[in-house]
Amino acid sequence: MSTLTISAIRKSYGTVETLKGIDVALESGEFLVLLGASGCGKSTLLNIIAGLAEPTSGDIRIDERSIIGVHPKDRDIAMVFQSYALYPNLTVHRNIGFGLEMRKVDKATRDRAVHETAKLLQIENLLERKPGQLSGGQRQRVAIGRALVRNPKIFLFDEPLSNLDAKLRMEMRTELKRLHQLTKTTVVYVTHDQIEAMTLATRIAVMRNGRIEQLDTPETIYNRPATLYVATFVGAPPMNLLAGAADRGGVRIDGTDIAVPVPGLESVPPGRRLVLGIRPEAIGTSGQGLPLAARCEVAELTGPELVVTAIIGSQRLVATLPASTKIKPGDEIALSADPALFHVFDAETEQRLN
Amino acid sequence: MSSTWMTTRAWLLMLPLLVIMIAVIGWPMIDTVRLSFTDAKLVGTGGSFVGIDNYVKMLSSSNFQRALYATTWFAVVSVAAEMVIGVLAALLLNQQFYGRAVLRALLILPWALPTVVNATLWRLIYNPEYGALNSALTQIGLLDSYRSWLGEPGTAMTALIVADCWKNFPLVAFIALAALQAVPRDITAASLVDGAGPFNRFRFVILPYLAGPLMVALVLRTIEAFKVFDIIWVMTRGGPANSTRTLSILVYQEAFSFQRAGSGASLALVVTLIVTVLAVGYGMLVRRTAGSAT
Repeated sequence: MSTLTISAIRKSYGTVETLKGIDVALESGEFLVLLGASGCGKSTLLNIIAGLAEPTSGDIRIDERSIIGVHPKDRDIAMVFQSYALYPNLTVHRNIGFGLEMRKVDKATRDRAVHETAKLLQIENLLERKPGQLSGGQRQRVAIGRALVRNPKIFLFDEPLSNLDAKLRMEMRTELKRLHQLTKTTVVYVTHDQIEAMTLATRIAVMRNGRIEQLDTPETIYNRPATLYVATFVGAPPMNLLAGAADRGGVRIDGTDIAVPVPGLESVPPGRRLVLGIRPEAIGTSGQGLPLAARCEVAELTGPELVVTAIIGSQRLVATLPASTKIKPGDEIALSADPALFHVFDAETEQRLN
Repeated sequence: MSSTWMTTRAWLLMLPLLVIMIAVIGWPMIDTVRLSFTDAKLVGTGGSFVGIDNYVKMLSSSNFQRALYATTWFAVVSVAAEMVIGVLAALLLNQQFYGRAVLRALLILPWALPTVVNATLWRLIYNPEYGALNSALTQIGLLDSYRSWLGEPGTAMTALIVADCWKNFPLVAFIALAALQAVPRDITAASLVDGAGPFNRFRFVILPYLAGPLMVALVLRTIEAFKVFDIIWVMTRGGPANSTRTLSILVYQEAFSFQRAGSGASLALVVTLIVTVLAVGYGMLVRRTAGSAT
């Protein structure tokens, strides 16, 4: 149970600055997900927290103790790697107990801790095997066990689920959530998978080009994305972005006569280029809210829902509708959306306006 | 295309090479076996059949036993030293430092030198009158007067082993260096977080990835060392007082210096047998270690 404070962290490799001032303060027991595309700096930040890389400037504190310059082993952190990073010639038992062994914990205590952890992760039957004899999911459990057994102040996860197949990934995600609820340890978790971020995090830091675009709860990230980038990064299918212009406290969608009044846009000068964001799941066929007349181009049934790609004016719009909706390509359809769920961004600054 | 034709064609294509192999390796081997049961001289008539006399005499002779001992000593010590120095050099050259690329390139130099050149070079270094070793050791006060390193039975073998090590450790170093590149960064990082110091990191993280390739180096080097001839021939010719006479030198002396083709052949076959046993045994070991880091 520890707090983690990251202040003004910068990291440069030669002339390339990969982290441009990162500030995050985590309460004890928080689950922070660093979310971003590859190259955004999220793994670099994690490595800096772990002590595997040193920042160019800035400070990191665990419970008020600065850990800059402290050896990784003395930071009281545990890390789970994407490639599992198990020791190939040691049994699962010794892999899990390795950190304790290196810290000269006596064998009886070590064995007890290993068995408890193995029980928690349901891998007791694998303890005498070598990593080469395990499946991907089992290896990941061992890797998590190795981190868990040390009972560290902070857990670091570097894309731990990205090498697993889809079904296993979902299982392990739930497992991680369960473990976090159980241990209440502070976690920093790196991923590029927005579903993982949404489901696991207490807070998400969406990163881009070495900066945090938005640091907020999953609900806020989803419901009120602060920038155009965050809006498109979170949500599947991604948010529809319609080009438009400011028009008397609202947005006029390009190529249509549709003008949408949006609260909060009253002060925006008319004619200003805007982007209107509408999540596919905010669009319905109930007729309530703003009517959007469109023509169906493609209809894809995914099982639980029907994903319709429609043309509105000269722009494309994706809507996720109930699976029972009867729509075929070429149909003229009457879609509607609640303006309260609209997101409006300045086309130039990409910042949220409403 | 029928499989019969494929097989026939394969054999046809291999035929020229096969003929050459049989002519230059197969036939001499068979003839060596025949010779080993005769008292043939190098020149003159074919000699007469003497049964296993050559083998009995040779195996019970003190010359053979001393040569076997010298060969084993040479092989064990020089290969062990080459492995240790090679791995240490590889670990060093795997670190990030200024001038690493140059050093890596320089490392291959001793190994790239022809053995005869290397041997001549070391003979100069060991020279009792103007050798660099004598000069260096007296200048730093470790030696009172110049010594004949290759001329004294007590030091000749060690001097040879040093020269052989210098030539061959780069091979081990390069194999180890290649293997070190294959150690996953994540595992190294995990061991750092887990609190493993340099020794434990080497033992639990690096060694599993090094074991297979090192085993190959060990096999190659041991077999080579057991057959050693050229470096010794150039530096000491098996002397002084036969203290550096290894099996290959003994075979050469027996067959060519003393012109006893028959007993030379029997000796050569015994050496071949020893090396074959080593090779097969090691081969089995390699197959077992290869699966250690997967």
